[in-house]
Amino acid sequence: MSAATSGLPPLLRHAGWVLRGNPVTALAMLGTALLVLLALLAPWLVPYDPIASNVRMAMQPPSAAHWFGTDQLGRDILSRLLMGARLDLAIAASAVGLSFVVGAVVGAFCGYQGGWLDRAVGRGVDVLMAFPLFVLAMAMVAALGNRVENIVYATAIINLPFYIRFARTEVAVRRQAGWVEAARAAGHGRAGVVLGFLLPNILPNIAVQISLNLGWAILNAAGLSFLGLGITAPTPEWGIMVAEGARFITAGQWWLVAFPGLALMLAVLCFNLLGDGLRDILDPRMRT
Amino acid sequence: MEITRRQGLMGLAALAAAPALLPGEAAAQSRAETLRQVTGGAVNTLDPTMPGSTRESFGISMNVYDRLVGFGRKMVGGNWVFDHTEIRGELAERYEISADGLVITLHLRRDALWHDGTPVTAEDVKWSLDRHVSSKSLAVSQFQTGSLTSTEQFRIVDAHTVQVVLDKPDRLALSNLAVPYAIMINSRLAKQNATPDDPWAQKWMQANTAAGGAYKVESFRPGVQVVLARNEAWKGGPLPFFRRVISQSVPEAATRANLIEKGDADLAIDLQAGDIAALTQRAQVKVASIPQSNGFTHISFNTRQAPFDNPKVRQAIAAALPYEDMFKASLFSRGRVLFGADWKVPPNADFPQALPMRQDLARARALLTEAGLADGFATTFSFGTSTAATSEPLAALVQEALAKVGIRVEIQKLPDAQLNTLQAEKKLAFYTDSGTAWLPATYYFFYLYFTRDQRWNFANWENARITELSNAARFERDTAAYEAQCKEMISILADQLPLLLLWQPNMDAVMNKAIEGFTYQFYRQVDFRDLKRA
Amino acid sequence: MQVLRRAALRVGGRLLSSVPAVLGVVVLTFLVMRVLPGDPAVYFAGGPSAGQEQIDALRVQMGLDKPLPVQLLTYLRDIARGDLGRSLTTGQPVVVDIAQRLPASLELTLTALLLALLAALPLGILAALRPGSAVDHLVRFLCTMGVCMPTFVSGLLLVYVFYYLLGWAPDPTGRIDVFAASPPEITGFLLVDFALVGDGEGWRAAAAQLILPSCTMALFVLAPLARMTRASMLAVLGGDFIRTARAMGLPGWRVILVHALRNALLPVITITGIVFSTMLGANVLVEKVFSWPGVASYALDALQASDYAPVQGFVLLMASIFVLVNLVIDLLYGLADPRAAG
Repeated sequence: MSAATSGLPPLLRHAGWVLRGNPVTALAMLGTALLVLLALLAPWLVPYDPIASNVRMAMQPPSAAHWFGTDQLGRDILSRLLMGARLDLAIAASAVGLSFVVGAVVGAFCGYQGGWLDRAVGRGVDVLMAFPLFVLAMAMVAALGNRVENIVYATAIINLPFYIRFARTEVAVRRQAGWVEAARAAGHGRAGVVLGFLLPNILPNIAVQISLNLGWAILNAAGLSFLGLGITAPTPEWGIMVAEGARFITAGQWWLVAFPGLALMLAVLCFNLLGDGLRDILDPRMRT
Repeated sequence: MEITRRQGLMGLAALAAAPALLPGEAAAQSRAETLRQVTGGAVNTLDPTMPGSTRESFGISMNVYDRLVGFGRKMVGGNWVFDHTEIRGELAERYEISADGLVITLHLRRDALWHDGTPVTAEDVKWSLDRHVSSKSLAVSQFQTGSLTSTEQFRIVDAHTVQVVLDKPDRLALSNLAVPYAIMINSRLAKQNATPDDPWAQKWMQANTAAGGAYKVESFRPGVQVVLARNEAWKGGPLPFFRRVISQSVPEAATRANLIEKGDADLAIDLQAGDIAALTQRAQVKVASIPQSNGFTHISFNTRQAPFDNPKVRQAIAAALPYEDMFKASLFSRGRVLFGADWKVPPNADFPQALPMRQDLARARALLTEAGLADGFATTFSFGTSTAATSEPLAALVQEALAKVGIRVEIQKLPDAQLNTLQAEKKLAFYTDSGTAWLPATYYFFYLYFTRDQRWNFANWENARITELSNAARFERDTAAYEAQCKEMISILADQLPLLLLWQPNMDAVMNKAIEGFTYQFYRQVDFRDLKRA
Repeated sequence: MQVLRRAALRVGGRLLSSVPAVLGVVVLTFLVMRVLPGDPAVYFAGGPSAGQEQIDALRVQMGLDKPLPVQLLTYLRDIARGDLGRSLTTGQPVVVDIAQRLPASLELTLTALLLALLAALPLGILAALRPGSAVDHLVRFLCTMGVCMPTFVSGLLLVYVFYYLLGWAPDPTGRIDVFAASPPEITGFLLVDFALVGDGEGWRAAAAQLILPSCTMALFVLAPLARMTRASMLAVLGGDFIRTARAMGLPGWRVILVHALRNALLPVITITGIVFSTMLGANVLVEKVFSWPGVASYALDALQASDYAPVQGFVLLMASIFVLVNLVIDLLYGLADPRAAG
């Protein structure tokens, strides 16, 4: 544990220094925080019921009553955006969380133990890596049905190989380190060493990837929606709002795609810049 | 001999004409004489009878192959619409039906030629008809609806005369010879490419043609595009205006709309309602909006599954839905409604016609209470991905409206292959889809969609009286009796409501302003032979 | 001689060791397709009056009436013979379909990759030269912007602006103007074929059709390429030999372009390989938006119709390309740095 915790204060100092010198990362952090806050408070912020239809008010351009306009069923786009943020962030977070937890644990054990486990998992990862991943996600959603949990599983599975490989390599490098030997000598079992010492130690490095993957997971869900394999209406979700709205560009109803599109872009942008920034903070060598 | 000489002369004429045009003029002229259609789907086979052939394939085959007969057309509300009551000759120049309705005699055009220049014979026709009742193809079950089931029914009288013999005077025997499947095939050419495993040359005909229609296939790339060239030797009707036709698949609907508006493409019949409204307003293009008079969009119940096996539940749902809102949100009100009628007895024998369904929440609640479901129930409402643009808003409104009478609806969007499978296996409880009958006779609709244990019985409905009436009407020769039977079937449908008829969407043909003559065809594709550029 | 033999052994070894992975992909795809609830027989027997008989007949014809293990073995046997089955959607053998469509996808992906590299290398180098500066931040921001828009949105927007509003781009419908004549099929790559027959006008037309879709794809992969260039350049620029080269008075740009870039290129090649295989599989959306007759949109249509053979064929193709690309990267590594080959 010592190695992981003793590094923190200098890391924080370093982070402060990097943030001062890197306004983009600071902005991304702020944006992410704002996004999460909006998603959490959405039920209290929405001006209208995001699902209730009002066909007489369909396709209204932005106005004082409806800041972002209304859609085909007269639903308020701002309200749907806010509620959609919750669902999108939840999908992205749970998909990435799932692949991270499973991938990191499996990968860490493989890296620590080697042997048949490592080889077997390695083969499995090879198979997954050789798949055209987006098509795999499409097939999975088509096979299991397009419900939220299946979209989460599909996204998680196609992220899995990366986490397994990453954790495996990082652990394999540290396997013989002095502090690992010390933990073993102190009587910790295999599971204890891996879960209690090695995993916490490689966590910061994986965190960078988590942030990048969050953005990617949102895009992935949007792509599935565009192909008709996303969340089913009337649930408000950004991907499907963008996918449906994009089809109204020609008809001149730009607000249907512009606002969800911007929200989606900003969210992904924040996650990506944040990931980049985190990398800089954690790996000072990349900066000099 | 004669043939080759004429072809030679035509070649000379073409050579003589060519130098008269400067290259630029030639290009402009060839563009003017070329029709470019953009479609959402794609042609996947040149043989329309192949299992899995798309609607676009039917359309192409109508232009490439001749049938013995074809439907006429009539003006309805300023647009041309097919007329199934007028059957005119195509490859047959005329036909006679015997007084008892059992023998149809078809006289072939004596000067008709296949694309390879060989003359059309009665053997070719006999072989083609035999193929449609014997091969493993989609034609077999279609021909059954016209009581055409055995090769013995097709007889060669002489080199240019063929007879079709029936056991019973089936109303639709002759009409079936006009459907897309009823292609007439150059049998000599097809037989050359048949194999012992494949005596009807079905494999070969998927990518090749043995045809004699108004257009020849110049190039065919499945799923991408088809290019047709006019058959200058066609005798089945007046020579079409367009020398070349390009039918190209452009999956993105917004792009199709852009192409038409910019004038780069000439015709599209499958744009989205939103784009059509916008294009109509901007007035850069011509829009022919024609209700699809032989189709219907519906909401079906599984009538053999609780709680929908109870007619009161179905009537309750029928009384709970906001039809006008659904029509507006789903189709931008572009179509002809099949709800909101006000009758106790059907005013006529036509079908589909508007049924007396309207929103009345109090009545819906009362009916649910009568059915013992005052607290409502939970169910799933399904639709296919390909109809998402219209079905998604519809589903949202159904969910919202039914929640008001205590019915909790979960919406399920399924890839089309899955929807169709579940539909065929009768595993869908409550869903929306649409149907189109090629031969819009009232009894045919009921026979196809409301009887028998088969896929197209959308509501999995069994009603002894309907079965009896549809079978009787099929062979009924007396018009008054036939109409009475049809009206009774419509009354039963309106009372029992195995499915809710919603509307007939418009066929919105969006085209270049100079294109004229668009006709709404029963197979919902474009007959290029009708079109010209003004 | 020795070198060649070692290279051949290495290639053989790599190919052999990738067989289990490819086999795994084949079996997994087979199973996933069978789990799909859609029954292709029902879907394809779906004429306006098809009945149960037609459905059953089609099922027998497709071999779907046999138990699953038998179907799998039959499928593996067919693959070994080079037969990928027949597509119900197009009615053609899958091998023929793929052979017709693969050049379209490859041409698009390679062009996009080239465009992305042309932009990413200079941007990455610029950023690496002044780390932490405004230029660095700007580059990072711009590249990230490209990756944060779904490709179907950027594609539709590009079409809207450059075709619909400005009219600069040709109509976004496939590889070639429908009214123009196609070149004779030599390689299947239109740019190459037009160049071979010396048709300059055709070449320009084909290139014009490529611009929008390849830009859409390039935008999306700019970020990883630029990021890797920057990181790798940073590492090299800090190295001793660069300092030596500068000390010897070589001009700055020469040091950067010749000495630093050459040494920084290896990691960039690796990431390019990875990006290439991902792009080829993931450009479904771009192909759909631009009506591009490629393999990915082919697989998508088949997937939605539960048409097994094309999807299986597509995945097998992608897995094979993945293996080949990795092999090529590996060999490049061996060439550039003989120590890595050992």
